[in-house]
Amino acid sequence: MKKPLYILLTLLLFTACTTETVKDAKQEKLLPRIYPDYLGVTIPVNIAPLCFSMADEGVLLIDAVITDSHGHSMHSQGEESVDFDLDDWHALLGQNRGDSLSVTVSAKYDDGWHTYRSFSIYVSTDSIDYGICYRLIEPGYEVWSKMGIYERDLSSFDERPLIENTQFEGCVNCHSFNRGKTTDMSLHIRGSHGATLLRHNNGPFTAYNTKTDQTLGLCVYPYWHPSGRYIAYSTNTTNQLFHSADRNRIEVFDDASDIQVYDVEKNELLLSPLLKQDSVYETYPVFSADGRSLYFCAARALPEGSHQLDSIRYNLCRIDFDPETGNYGDRIDTIVNAEALHKSVSFPRPSYDGSFLCYTLSDYGQFSIWHHEADLYLLDLSTGQSLPMDEANSKDTDSFHNWSTNSRWLVLSSRRDDGLFTRPYFCHIDAKGKVSKPFMLPQRNPRRFYRERFLSFNVPDFVTVPTRFNSHQATRLINSNSRTPFGVRTSP
Amino acid sequence: MKKIIRPICTLLFGVAVILFFGLAYPHHLHYQEQFQLFLFDSAYVWEMVKLPGGTADLLGRFCTQFFLFAWVGAIIIGLLLSAMQLLTARLAKWGWFYGLSFVPSFLLWLFLLDENALLGGVWAVVLTLLASWGFDRLTDGWTRRILLVAAVPILYWMVGPVCVLFFLLQVLHHKRSAWSYGVFLLLIAMPVISSCFLPVPASSLWTGIHYHRYPTVFPALLWAATLSVFVLTLIVRAFYHQRSKKFNGQCSTVNEKNGQCPKMRVNESRDEVVQSMPSNSILGEANGQWSMFNGQWSTLSVFVVVAVIMGWVVWKNSNFKAEKVMQYDFMARHQQWNRIIDTVNAEKPNNPIGVTVQNLALAMHGLLPDHLFEYNQNGISGLFPKVERDATSPLPTAEVFYQLGMINVAQRSVFEAQEAILDFQKSARCYKRLAQTNLINGDYEVARKYLMALQKTLFYSDWANETLPLLGDEEAIAKHPEYGRLRQMAYQEDFYFSDHTTSQMLQSLFLSNTDNNLAYEYLLAYCLLTGDRENYYYFTSIQR
Repeated sequence: MKKPLYILLTLLLFTACTTETVKDAKQEKLLPRIYPDYLGVTIPVNIAPLCFSMADEGVLLIDAVITDSHGHSMHSQGEESVDFDLDDWHALLGQNRGDSLSVTVSAKYDDGWHTYRSFSIYVSTDSIDYGICYRLIEPGYEVWSKMGIYERDLSSFDERPLIENTQFEGCVNCHSFNRGKTTDMSLHIRGSHGATLLRHNNGPFTAYNTKTDQTLGLCVYPYWHPSGRYIAYSTNTTNQLFHSADRNRIEVFDDASDIQVYDVEKNELLLSPLLKQDSVYETYPVFSADGRSLYFCAARALPEGSHQLDSIRYNLCRIDFDPETGNYGDRIDTIVNAEALHKSVSFPRPSYDGSFLCYTLSDYGQFSIWHHEADLYLLDLSTGQSLPMDEANSKDTDSFHNWSTNSRWLVLSSRRDDGLFTRPYFCHIDAKGKVSKPFMLPQRNPRRFYRERFLSFNVPDFVTVPTRFNSHQATRLINSNSRTPFGVRTSP
Repeated sequence: MKKIIRPICTLLFGVAVILFFGLAYPHHLHYQEQFQLFLFDSAYVWEMVKLPGGTADLLGRFCTQFFLFAWVGAIIIGLLLSAMQLLTARLAKWGWFYGLSFVPSFLLWLFLLDENALLGGVWAVVLTLLASWGFDRLTDGWTRRILLVAAVPILYWMVGPVCVLFFLLQVLHHKRSAWSYGVFLLLIAMPVISSCFLPVPASSLWTGIHYHRYPTVFPALLWAATLSVFVLTLIVRAFYHQRSKKFNGQCSTVNEKNGQCPKMRVNESRDEVVQSMPSNSILGEANGQWSMFNGQWSTLSVFVVVAVIMGWVVWKNSNFKAEKVMQYDFMARHQQWNRIIDTVNAEKPNNPIGVTVQNLALAMHGLLPDHLFEYNQNGISGLFPKVERDATSPLPTAEVFYQLGMINVAQRSVFEAQEAILDFQKSARCYKRLAQTNLINGDYEVARKYLMALQKTLFYSDWANETLPLLGDEEAIAKHPEYGRLRQMAYQEDFYFSDHTTSQMLQSLFLSNTDNNLAYEYLLAYCLLTGDRENYYYFTSIQR
């Protein structure tokens, strides 16, 4: 009785382990349509395997062979997607740093195998940071469900939560690191246990109340000074309105907003009358690479009660900042006059090498995440010239972004996949500002993964090492309701 | 007779539970079903079973999906509560007090009156009793002790903290030893260790993660039911232990007098002995038969007393007002416009959701402006209640928005309702509606995501399979009786809206397409409720 069972089991195991030989394949002249679109992308040498599926779902089997110019090759076959071995993949990429790989895809349909024209993947000499950190949240309106801050190892498929709102009542947002260094970290908690958790120089976290009687409200949109001593924040009175028939669903806008810098060592908010003008909305402050300038977005404020949201247009501005004294300059320069182009700037992010500044340009407003027309632009800080990042942009929303610590990679948030759920993409930008085609964050079975995940990747930022974060200690801190207040110092 | 009476009692109880949930409380079951999305998917299952109590939660959610059909749900609850009673009954020889073995089941029934009490909690108690039953069949010895040590963490992980009942029953039934104290420490260690690495509040590891939809609510009735099993067993055993001692004393006295004391036969259960224990039984065979008869009636009497008292408590604690509100929501969800009219004609609703649904049904029949004041009204809130930040009230309002053609508003209301589900579950009802609104808006890839998730459900997969081919097929959508109509009725001009529906929003909707009769009905009703005669006459003149 047992014998047939053993035979059956052996047969099953044998069947499971074998791959079908691609034979009598029809040679197609076209490039394969794969998901995600990895055709001709440039990747870092330490990225996780670019597994993919055929874009159409009628396929019975997909087969991929990757070869290099040194005679090495790698093969994978699967029903839903190809799944390259992690070690083999990294070995192959290591052998081809600065070179390209050729990928030949075959797909089996009801009428047999089809082999498509090979495409290339370029392996950059520039590596990418250890991982990215992001918030996972449903792309919703005002009410939130489960969410959390997560970290993903970019060289594998491992994702781990740093903190989830299943541990306390509230929402988490605006995680921020100092140039990928997780020893300087800021995290906001909203809700009944609201706080800003701050860690400096790998010290313990402290829970702060960032609202003072001299500022509009809580501190938002943090950006660390390269020295780690300061954090630039905006403070915003934010509202939402909803579209009745537009393709964009939501407008998130400020009724008022100012900019301030927090001195971590002195526990003081540094205010300037230039950055808290009632007639101007100031937001999204970021320090320049040398820490001596503060870039931000500024728009003329609407008259009170006006809802002409499509007339709010932000320019990219700059003010001097003295890290030694914490004093601001006495004039504001307009770096990109988007208003003149009937456009609006959001999310400025200078590269850490001081060469470029990447920003998002949309038709109006500052919350370009919900604007389908939003695109990325690259400002060359040496020439002052701004150019659209055509290689990286898509027909849909391309908005929030951050630089890798070597300033060669940009993680960008895009809704190109389905128009609603934001996914992280990575593109290479060389020293001359040449932008490569972006690739989607790799997953073992990307179609299944992204189809089944009803969450947006929010505020992706690079981290150089795994983040040391004890969520239980943080939760105790959040639930303790003990908050250290921010002090205030007004600059002349 | 005893062999008949006890099953009859259980049967009567089970039937009562089924009739209650099938006839008096069906919409509570529908309400439960709409706040979950049970997927036949390994990732979904893993999300549940990776937490303590996950197996019970999984079984609870699996059963809850059948609540879409209230009678099936009622039968499931009836079976579970009956199983609970039978498992309790086997824990002791209840004698006349057999009726007390129904108390834990009645307490669970009380627990389930709360629409946010989750069936996973009931499964947790039943699984614990099943495990206890299994262990009682093992003979005492090292095998059993080792299995006990293994069972405690496994059971904790499967059913959550109510597994403390398992430990208590094991201690009750078997010799207490240092081993028992070790097992107890292990039981205490489980939530302590779990709290170090699980992303849930530490308190929920002690009170249960998925016993109740509100994470901060302590499920007192569930715990009362759980602990009552132990307490009642303990009391009954102690009572009969005392009686047995007294009886043995009497026997020795009788023996000394006439040697007529009945001896316990080898296979005679203690139960049968205690049934015939009253002192009369020792006086002769006739008296013994009378005593047996008297014992059965006593058993029945205790059952009747428990059933009447607990039944009364259940009835008094039932929330029939909420049931009525849920009924209106259910009828609106299934677009039972005629049934709504019949219901409001029988009893005019006096709750906001009832009035909203009543007005929608009247408008669907073209009766709203003419018959508006024949029914209860609560101003324009009766047309469009303010969208609250909860999971319940936005859904009927969203139904109004959807039927009117205010697709973006409907989409937002449904999305927000789903986000507000307190235990972070998703909703099959909401997924379906979000698929529809995205389809109507032409956001086909987003609609596809929702539809492909619904393909993994038991009761929504057929609908999802039928709807998927529509994506991108503009001609088929235009011809579709619902989606085609709603596309035509939708806003042509964009404007901003917030939480309040205004007259301008209705005017814009009507002027976008003057064939939108529902918008017309609502616009006139709006004018009537706000006393806006000018616009009332203006819009009636347009329609003529």
